[in-house]
Amino acid sequence: MMKFLMMMIFMIPLCFKKNMFWMVQMMLFLMMYFFMNLMINVMYYCNLSYMYSCDMLSYGLILLSIWIIILMLMSSESLYKMNFYPNFFMFNLIMLLIMLFLTFSVMNLFMFYLFFESSLIFTLLLIIGWGYQPERIQAGMYFLFYTLFASLPLLLGIFYIFNKMNYIMIYFMKFFNFNLYLLYFSMIMAFLVKMPMYFVHLWLPKAHVEAPVSGSMILAGVMLKLGGYGLLRVLILFQKVGLKLNIIFIIISLLGGFYLSLKCFCQVDIKSLIAYSSVAHMSMVIGGIMTMNYWGFIGSYILMIGHGLCSSGMFCLANINYERLHSRSLYINKGMMSLMPSMSLWWFLLMSSNMAAPPSLNLMGEISLINSLVSWCWLSMFLLMLISFFSAGYSLYLYSYIQHGKFYLGIYSFYMGLSREYLLLMLHWLPLNILIMKIDYFMIWF
Amino acid sequence: MQKFSICFISFFVLFSFSMINIFFFSYFVMNNLVYILEWELISFSSMSIVMSILLDWMSLLFMMFVSLISSVVIFYSKSYMSSELNLNRFIILVLLFVFSMILLIISPNIISILLGWDGLGLVSYCLVIYYQNIKSYNAGMLTALSNRVGDVFILMVISWMMNYGSWNYFFYLDFMVNDYMMMMISVMIIMAAMTKSAQIPFSSWLPAAMAAPTPVSALVHSSTLVTAGVYLLIRFNSLLIDMFFFKVLLLLSGLTMFMAGISANYEFDLKKIIALSTLSQLGLMMSILSMGFPDLAFFHLLTHAMFKALLFMCAGVIIHMMNDIQDIRFMGGISNFIPLTCLCLNVSNMALCGIPFLAGFYSKDLILEMVSMSNLNFFIFLLYYVSTGLTMFYSFRLTMYLMINDFNLLSVYNLYDEDYVMLKSMFTLMMMSVLSGSMLMWSIFSYPYMIYLPLNIKLMVIYVSILGAFLGYLMSNMNIYSMNKYLKSYNLSSFLCLMWFMPNLSTYGLNFYFLNYGQLMLKNIDMGWSEFYSGQGLVLILKNYTVFYSFFQMNNNFKIYLFSFVLWVCFLMMFMMIYLNSL
Repeated sequence: MMKFLMMMIFMIPLCFKKNMFWMVQMMLFLMMYFFMNLMINVMYYCNLSYMYSCDMLSYGLILLSIWIIILMLMSSESLYKMNFYPNFFMFNLIMLLIMLFLTFSVMNLFMFYLFFESSLIFTLLLIIGWGYQPERIQAGMYFLFYTLFASLPLLLGIFYIFNKMNYIMIYFMKFFNFNLYLLYFSMIMAFLVKMPMYFVHLWLPKAHVEAPVSGSMILAGVMLKLGGYGLLRVLILFQKVGLKLNIIFIIISLLGGFYLSLKCFCQVDIKSLIAYSSVAHMSMVIGGIMTMNYWGFIGSYILMIGHGLCSSGMFCLANINYERLHSRSLYINKGMMSLMPSMSLWWFLLMSSNMAAPPSLNLMGEISLINSLVSWCWLSMFLLMLISFFSAGYSLYLYSYIQHGKFYLGIYSFYMGLSREYLLLMLHWLPLNILIMKIDYFMIWF
Repeated sequence: MQKFSICFISFFVLFSFSMINIFFFSYFVMNNLVYILEWELISFSSMSIVMSILLDWMSLLFMMFVSLISSVVIFYSKSYMSSELNLNRFIILVLLFVFSMILLIISPNIISILLGWDGLGLVSYCLVIYYQNIKSYNAGMLTALSNRVGDVFILMVISWMMNYGSWNYFFYLDFMVNDYMMMMISVMIIMAAMTKSAQIPFSSWLPAAMAAPTPVSALVHSSTLVTAGVYLLIRFNSLLIDMFFFKVLLLLSGLTMFMAGISANYEFDLKKIIALSTLSQLGLMMSILSMGFPDLAFFHLLTHAMFKALLFMCAGVIIHMMNDIQDIRFMGGISNFIPLTCLCLNVSNMALCGIPFLAGFYSKDLILEMVSMSNLNFFIFLLYYVSTGLTMFYSFRLTMYLMINDFNLLSVYNLYDEDYVMLKSMFTLMMMSVLSGSMLMWSIFSYPYMIYLPLNIKLMVIYVSILGAFLGYLMSNMNIYSMNKYLKSYNLSSFLCLMWFMPNLSTYGLNFYFLNYGQLMLKNIDMGWSEFYSGQGLVLILKNYTVFYSFFQMNNNFKIYLFSFVLWVCFLMMFMMIYLNSL
């Protein structure tokens, strides 16, 4: 694992040279390739070096974060073109990648916490540095304080565990079992806010709306998955207490998923709609994790990866429209099929993946989550049906509102999709739908 | 190079595929073979997720029909869509549609069937909203969401089938009949099939989907999308044969048949009449299926596919001729102008009505005779025979309006019957609508059905048909005075002509509540309580405290503050001294 860390650290000087934008991206591709060829064992932690290691769970998420960072660079070409601090942008992304990499690969729970929080800083810089509107300050504050507010109890909880057990290695957590309510809440609330759970999701639509495309991509693609990763790691401590209390979170997230899907229909901002839809999907993930059965865990993992690729791609599409029309409003982004017929294909493909159409990872994830939740309690079937139905509803609403009808007559000039953009979208969509062929990497990991 | 356009290539590929399927079908049916191919995605916890392919005579024959009709339809759309800018997009969408249907036909696994099932829903959505207008937008949304209900039910079926350890429903149908879970599964499968095949609570999307281009309608409403539900239930039939829900399905599908037949008589849109007749025939298939005759339902499905595709193609030609006017009141007497098209139209209409020795006769007559033989109540019997009469009723009315009555279009018109691309494709299907009934009868039934009926019941089909034809003739000649009599029973008329208000119920009746509830939730939770108790509320509290304290600090009270500070320091000193002294 150290070699990747070293590679990323030594990429930092590269960021400060002129015209190294694509070079950095190519280096990251190279790293992605190296990482893909990493020897990985299905059942155990491997590649142990110092306190870093990698099992299937972290392997997939690290791959996802490297991939999303690459695509973030690819999508923010306009920064480079307009010389809007591209060097600092690249530095920021590399630092963010280092933090994410370390978050997913450290074995120590405290170090996990440390990197978990420090990835916040670079995302915050991304939002308030490259955002578009003055409201980005408020959005950044929301983002920062929502997550910080709940994560200080997490820190105390980690100290408590360390005090009791004298070690906080993640691998050994399967041998502990705490039957403490307060510890349970303090340990998982941070992750639930990060996911985000319903009621504490307010920061996410705000942050998405104000963030630049790269910020939205990393938020939807990886930051939300940090919460899921944390839950998957930590819940093993609370098997007994979880049996009693998890029902609260399942109910909140299933009902919340339904409400959020309804709220999606009231959105007129593309990015806000996608953000709400990702909260709705994440609520299913929370439900699946909280059932604490095998299907739930694998389903949440698959849906996290799938949703990371899919929603990130949808934010790219929103940005592609934004760069041409300078608006995120659904009333202005209309009739795009007449103007960009090929882009309409990508809209449709990513939209259909978002509503869990086969053969996407989202479908496999939703099937697993439905399996886990229905086997947990058959009454959850009704809410799951509503969530699944309305996810199609708002995806189609988004697609048809943007693509169909008359285009906005105030358009002064326009240009077609660039090959960079098509490549960008293909790199989102292809892994999303090809990986189903190798679904056992996602399904047998613990 | 015009010859090697995308239409021609696709036609050729699909047509050859169809021929291959004929060959394999005859081989399989002769040797009574069933092939199952499985590709295992993953297996864990003794559950295996597989992609499976089932090849037996049924799937091969159905694939042959689907690919034959779609090849012809694509050939037809070369002329029909010739002025379309994005012809490639259109043809690719149609090909994707056919591909999804084939995937649906060949997979006996409830997970891998999703590939075709969802694919059909999505691609049909793209095809319905193909034209950029509000009507097709709404129709597409209605179609996609109605179909999505079925998808959701299939997803739930997956979760209920998990306990069997595999999703190959094929293996469990015989052994798990009495299982409680199998009952749940069957209910949900019936619901899914009802959405795809547009049975009564979900039938509003089928006429709405007429907003699609006519070749798509010919494909969607004959062999592909709407028959998917029927096909799924045919596959599940061995399980569901003696369940209570099947009696509910019998009632609902009988009512669908009846409702669609009546609504078709009120309709003036050419394509909508045909769509409603499709709905009626789907009701017929579903109802005979729920009486326990899957092979008859399959037989009628195939013959119906042929003549219904032909009917739509003829309608497309007529719409082209009529300057894109679909209202049948503008048409009339066109048999004088376009005799070949009218020939095809008449053949398909007669096949639809079950005129002897055309395709529809073999299947429909057999179905009705089996109904008469079965042990059913009078109400169901009545539904069947009235609907048969109604079929004749609207078909005859349509024929009268199109061919016999006066020509009512604008004074400048141009009718021509020399579009050989369309005519060739129509004639292919006309041949099939004449022949396919007897051909299929010989090939798929290994033994003949024994029918034993009194003469009057045997002739009941003829009676209701003649009655229906007579009424249709009368309907088509109604003058404005008689038409206005509808106003006397306005509520009844609007009930019957609006498909029992189903389109209204499934659009305005539903979405208002959900949208309103979403708005309420957005206002009260996202912008209300959640914000009050976390973001804005916290700021408010902190701000108030800050103001409160700064009031004491910043105003004239500053000296009070200073004074109290000095006092406090004095006290502190005093206590310190006391403390130090006490040491």
